[in-house]
Amino acid sequence: MGGLIIMKEVHAGGKLLKKVYVAIFLWFTGRAIQATAKVDKEVKKEFDALPDDFTFALGCLPNGPWMVVGKEKGKVKYFGGDLNSRKIHLRLVIKNIEAAFLILSFQESTALATTRNRLMTDGEVPYALSVIRILDIVEVYLLPKIIASLAVKRYPSWWSFGRKLAGRIGVYTRTLLGI
Amino acid sequence: MILPDYYEFCCRVKIVAGHDALEKIPALLAEMGSKKPLIITDKGVAAAGLVDIVVNALKDGVTIGGIADNVPPDSDLKVVNQLAGLYRDNACDAIIAVGGGSVMDTAKGVNIVVSENATDLMAFSGAGALNRRLKPLVAIPTTAGTGSEVTLVAVIKDHEKHQKMLFTSYVLLPNVSILDSRMTMTMPPFITAMTGMDALSHAVEGYYCLQKNPLSDAHSLAAVNMIHQYLSTVTQNPSDKEGRLAMAVGACLAGISFSNSMVGIVHNLGHATGAVCGVPHGICMAVLLPYGLEYNMHKCGDTIAELLLPMAGEEVYRTTPKAERADKVVSLIRQMNQDLNAITGGRHARYFSEVKDRDGKQMVPRDVLPAIAKAALLDGATIYNPEDQDYEENLLVLEAAWEGKPLDRSKIKKG
Amino acid sequence: MDLTNGFAFTCPFKTNSGNKALENLPVELAGLNAFKPLIITSRPLAGCRAISTLKNAFGDSGMTLGIFDGVTETADLSVVEQIRDIFVKGQYDSIIALGGGVVVDVAKIVNLAVSQKVADARQLSPATAIRDPLGPFIVIPTAAATGMETSKYAFLQGKSFVSVHLMPDLVILDPRLTRAKDGKAVAEAGFAAFGRILEADIAPDRNPLMHAYAFTALRFLRENLADAVNKRCNKKASLAVANAVAMSGCVISNTDQNVLHRLGQVFQKIVHVHPGMIIGMCLHPFLDDCMKKDSSLIASLLLPLGGDDKYAAMPEAGRAGEALRDIYEFSYEIYRSLKGKIPRTITEAGIQQYLMNDVMDIINQEPDGAYLRTMIDRVGGGSIKA
Repeated sequence: MGGLIIMKEVHAGGKLLKKVYVAIFLWFTGRAIQATAKVDKEVKKEFDALPDDFTFALGCLPNGPWMVVGKEKGKVKYFGGDLNSRKIHLRLVIKNIEAAFLILSFQESTALATTRNRLMTDGEVPYALSVIRILDIVEVYLLPKIIASLAVKRYPSWWSFGRKLAGRIGVYTRTLLGI
Repeated sequence: MILPDYYEFCCRVKIVAGHDALEKIPALLAEMGSKKPLIITDKGVAAAGLVDIVVNALKDGVTIGGIADNVPPDSDLKVVNQLAGLYRDNACDAIIAVGGGSVMDTAKGVNIVVSENATDLMAFSGAGALNRRLKPLVAIPTTAGTGSEVTLVAVIKDHEKHQKMLFTSYVLLPNVSILDSRMTMTMPPFITAMTGMDALSHAVEGYYCLQKNPLSDAHSLAAVNMIHQYLSTVTQNPSDKEGRLAMAVGACLAGISFSNSMVGIVHNLGHATGAVCGVPHGICMAVLLPYGLEYNMHKCGDTIAELLLPMAGEEVYRTTPKAERADKVVSLIRQMNQDLNAITGGRHARYFSEVKDRDGKQMVPRDVLPAIAKAALLDGATIYNPEDQDYEENLLVLEAAWEGKPLDRSKIKKG
Repeated sequence: MDLTNGFAFTCPFKTNSGNKALENLPVELAGLNAFKPLIITSRPLAGCRAISTLKNAFGDSGMTLGIFDGVTETADLSVVEQIRDIFVKGQYDSIIALGGGVVVDVAKIVNLAVSQKVADARQLSPATAIRDPLGPFIVIPTAAATGMETSKYAFLQGKSFVSVHLMPDLVILDPRLTRAKDGKAVAEAGFAAFGRILEADIAPDRNPLMHAYAFTALRFLRENLADAVNKRCNKKASLAVANAVAMSGCVISNTDQNVLHRLGQVFQKIVHVHPGMIIGMCLHPFLDDCMKKDSSLIASLLLPLGGDDKYAAMPEAGRAGEALRDIYEFSYEIYRSLKGKIPRTITEAGIQQYLMNDVMDIINQEPDGAYLRTMIDRVGGGSIKA
């Protein structure tokens, strides 16, 4: 007895809405990292400890979207979504767009996503740890406490109110203006 | 039993255990279509007569393609390439690794080279780079243990370029792991104690770390039970066959657990201590284990409390009030270190200030602790630790572990 | 646990379980060096929804996949040959089985055929030696699983194939597919897993590695089967049961202790009932017998089934009895909640005499045939007379 044989060719681009959401968030986060590096001492310190041309990318298989951030002449810059624009020292690869959506809609924190094997790290572990610390701080600035506590492993409740307020204003302003 | 929202678990290694498990190797190799293995080991293992035992067990069943005992204490790319050449020159068709962590890593590295015909091993160290089955690999651990006979990781050092290559892939898992009581019989008490606590740290950290899952939990519980029951007796009576086999199985279970659930602060600080001061890994684990539990207590005390029953048995569990069970686990582990210290005549250290090298010199001077705390920031095990760690907290734990005083938990920042 | 005589244990499959598990397929396939999978499934048995969920999981990957959804209950080696031909002509490099029971059996034999590059799958027989690992093979059980999906066995056309190489590389348990639609089906799958694991875990030669899987699965079943049967909207309970069923496939592949398992298989083959129905029936008499032989093995069941507190609080002498009580209450509750949908005796099941005769013929050929006969008698099989 035969069966209906369906030969289906499935292409990337099947999850447009989620891909757009992820792309927007990555764009915003990239600019926010650039901003936070100017505003926050800890993030600045982390970047200073990294090599001069250090660049990392965060994005999703198989074809993105991607966020490329790195150092150029001592300054931290968001380089857009092109993986070929620079030499990349570290890639944080999310296995598929569904997982990216889970992470960037804060249903799973970065730590939780790692423990659920949603991410792969391509590059040296010390760099990955630095980048995770940076991302955590950026998320604390960008998100209200109730969401940020889900996104990071330990919400820094010991930060002064001044640091959070000034930092948040600084990060948002610079992110939106792109400076 | 908690079912996580998502988890993954894999241990493809065939485990063959027993007092005469080695004799089963020829048949196991035949099942994999092999009859000419290369034996990879180190001088220590060979000197202890263990390789002879293996060779005797194999003699009629296979043709031994070569015996290489030049694996250094730290894996080395040069040696990997040299052994791969030996494999090819002697037309071998399988690898038998007899030894501890470094031998296992080297064997896995050799396997990559000969299976992928690799000229540049580095090319295979990225994520997803290894996805084709390798040549048959039989792992025979001689400690109980590192668990590297069931891990999917290999670390190979390139001493010329001063870089460490990390390989992660399920294809690196040995096809078979042989747990034979004869292989750990010659371990002197000091090494038995140290490697046993290493195994315990795998089981315990695997149980509370963030990537824990139901299957890794079951392996951890069984491991904790066996290790707590047998470690002291086997350290005291090295020729206890049943105890040796139980420890080998316990260490294997612990290896399977942590290979799937990862490890945390104990390994994070332990790796750093080993890197900065050269302290053997097992000692670092033994010293830091109670502190790792104390550090994470506010985050996963209930989970830690679940280790009491397999560790101490029904009587202790029943008579310990629920709120005190986690602390009881910590004190039991401290007691283990105390007992092992007594049995080994003081060689098994209870805290870092006690750790001495062969000449009696202190291996962890107090003023080196800041450097260790800093180095720990570069080690990935922190990702899976339930609580975040920063430099100050690393130093806090290290200071307490140096002095041998309980951790002052009030100083841990709580989010 | 007594390790004196040594042991061997293997579990070749990886387990991925949970939210969005399917979406990892492209990466998992790449890890097996596979890029063009053929999905083998059954429209009537697995359902259209399951098939489209699986298709959508590949949605962003750019991969090409083929789907054969024509497997039916009466599939035989000619179906295997048909699929083998499609596989070779389409140059696929891996197989994904979506479904349970016969779907996975067919997929296993197809994998055997294509990996050994046979010219015609109809020539395959259990006598075919399977020495080498087969090609990449993933199993995605749906709620209609029997517990054999992850095992080393495959049954087709009355033939029984056995090899550790038939076991999958990966089993994916996704809550979208494991959600129970039918309480009876879940209960049967649950009982089958429960019985098979129990008999392996109380065997004198059980080993700590197998015990880890058994411990986990028993806890999952004890804590979730009732909910999965009664509250079918409870995705987590169904997923937990599916986990246990998958683990039972590993357990039975590592043990020779299989009285309940063989009884289940015989009835499945001859009477076409789910093995869980018979295993559920025979659980009580079987455990009663084990209790008489060596109660200490039954006592150890109290830990996974009763939990830490119950186990620790119970004096050693009382544990075996308490474990049995727990098992009987647990199974009784499930039977009661199904209101007779699963028969408790062979008489209640209404199995016709001529089928029982065929069953007895096979049982009498077993080395322990006499014992198996008494088991059937005790569940009402002896009362069916010509």
